[in-house]
Amino acid sequence: MFSRGSKAPAVIALVASVLGLIFASSSTLDYAAHLDRRLHNVHCSFIPGASADPKAEACRAAMYSPYSALLKDQYWGGIPISLFGLGAFCFFAAFALYLLLAGEKTSRRTLGFFALLGTTPLLVSLLMLTISITQLGQICKTCAGIYISSALLAFGAVTAWLSARGDASRPSISFALVPAWLVGLGVTALAPAVVYAASAPDQRPYITQCGEIKQAKIKGDSPVKIRGARAVQPTMLFEDPLCPTCKAFHDRLVAENIIEKLDIELVLFPLDNECNWMLDSALHPGACIVSKAVLCGEGNARQVLEWAYDQQEYLTRAGKAGENTLRAAIKQRWGESLLRCVDDKKTDVRLNNHLHFASENNIPVSTPQMYLGKRRVCDEDTDLGLRFTLSQLAPEVLK
Amino acid sequence: MAGIVGLAAGILLTAGSVLAVRSWTSTAAQHLIEPEKEKPKVAVADQAEVAYCTPQFKQVLERVLHSCGLAAEGEGARRGCKPSDVKTFASISDDDFNALFTPLKDRGGVVLFDEGKDDLDDNAKKLLEERWFARKGARYFFVVARASKTGSPSKNNALSHRRANSVMFFLKQLSNDPEIEQKVGLLWLGNEFAQLSKEYCSWPNSRMNEKCDDEPINRSAFVSWVDCRL
Repeated sequence: MFSRGSKAPAVIALVASVLGLIFASSSTLDYAAHLDRRLHNVHCSFIPGASADPKAEACRAAMYSPYSALLKDQYWGGIPISLFGLGAFCFFAAFALYLLLAGEKTSRRTLGFFALLGTTPLLVSLLMLTISITQLGQICKTCAGIYISSALLAFGAVTAWLSARGDASRPSISFALVPAWLVGLGVTALAPAVVYAASAPDQRPYITQCGEIKQAKIKGDSPVKIRGARAVQPTMLFEDPLCPTCKAFHDRLVAENIIEKLDIELVLFPLDNECNWMLDSALHPGACIVSKAVLCGEGNARQVLEWAYDQQEYLTRAGKAGENTLRAAIKQRWGESLLRCVDDKKTDVRLNNHLHFASENNIPVSTPQMYLGKRRVCDEDTDLGLRFTLSQLAPEVLK
Repeated sequence: MAGIVGLAAGILLTAGSVLAVRSWTSTAAQHLIEPEKEKPKVAVADQAEVAYCTPQFKQVLERVLHSCGLAAEGEGARRGCKPSDVKTFASISDDDFNALFTPLKDRGGVVLFDEGKDDLDDNAKKLLEERWFARKGARYFFVVARASKTGSPSKNNALSHRRANSVMFFLKQLSNDPEIEQKVGLLWLGNEFAQLSKEYCSWPNSRMNEKCDDEPINRSAFVSWVDCRL
């Protein structure tokens, strides 16, 4: 593709490495910023260095997912995998610069090594891309930036090697340099992660600071019971079936297999002023009706809840279109008898009892909320810090 | 030379990355110990509190709660208020007392009874059912029973008391709620306090198609959830 001795492949590899470095930095910066337990905008753009975006749902979903970091039980939020990318791209940028400056003095063995290792970020990227598509159902732009950079790097590295094949004029080098380079790559790839792990603030004093529930039982009623297959931890959840954050939280509990260890009492807390007097307007129109469907699910409550989460976009549109559209969707999936239950005044009273339970406990008007026993799990500990918090407050859940 | 430049670049980039990571985590750690200046306010779940919950209205209702046993819990808690109690604790004129309930005109309803009777007819039960199930964010349900503008005070007291109890009995059957004692406040008034004028005939009642004046409207029980935090 490129003529023998062309510097284009090295330039491509250098540019790709710098781009990868920038995207990995943005991703790491977002992660590190959240260590202060506050909400921050997230970088989510194909433009390297673009400012953080408040509506970066795909990137936020990727960040909160179980695949974004390692050692989540040991470190709050875990060690983001972007840190390894950050270090590795430093190595590849420096190596590409060397290839660019050395030109035809570069040995074929050196180019072979670079071609071999230069494809590893692409392999990791392909793995992460597959996870994004199959598990998260969306691709974050910053992650895509890293994937594209990795592909470019692999292209530059391989074409550099291909363009030097058969060039007998190139010098040869000792095999001893190969392990040295590998050590260099290992050190650069690990260094940011080691520093991050060593300097990340201790979150333990904060995870128990979000209070307790005052009244543990609903007066005159019962919550929805969702008992996992190996339930060991009594847990109370306040959820709204049309709340996207609740869906993401539920998906995390399922993906990390945590839900099977929880003995859940689900309290429905729809953020819809049709039934919830605590709101002036509906955040999630139709959530009252869908909540009643969950209540009517009884033994199948988890299935109804998960159906609502799976169909959340459609149900949200239906909720905005009007009550009848929503009722038709419920009838189509769950049949006439469940819809009759939804329309029963007793179900209104049950949902009202759930809302009164929330008001008697003066919980924050937000969803989702998780209580381990009586202790409230802070909002920030239900997303990035979920596994770490569980490892501290309910370690048996992670066993 | 190229090797040295490459090595130097590698060291510089790695050092830069490490320093950047260190700086980001340190900044986060600093934020963690500093109180947030503009912490977003999160509303807290609570019972409803609407515009008619004036201090005077709440004062009267709170006196009802404390004097009539709703705020007390347990078997021995006293249920309901006698007219003499109301006169004492309300410390308010008849008209002012009735005016306090005016904002509840559409939230509540008036259950009408036959002369000298305390039975609930079908329309009365229907009205009670509608109002009871429209609880929303209210914590307390008030029942203000009356007997007649005429007749002896003792007879009126007894009849008014029976009417309040009729409503309570029906609500217990309807709701099957073991906590109902802590939700329903009963007041029974004789003809010595806060009788209704015929203007109240325009309020939603269980006999909208029947003739109404200031005699039938006082053979009644006014019922309503009250959307006030007490």
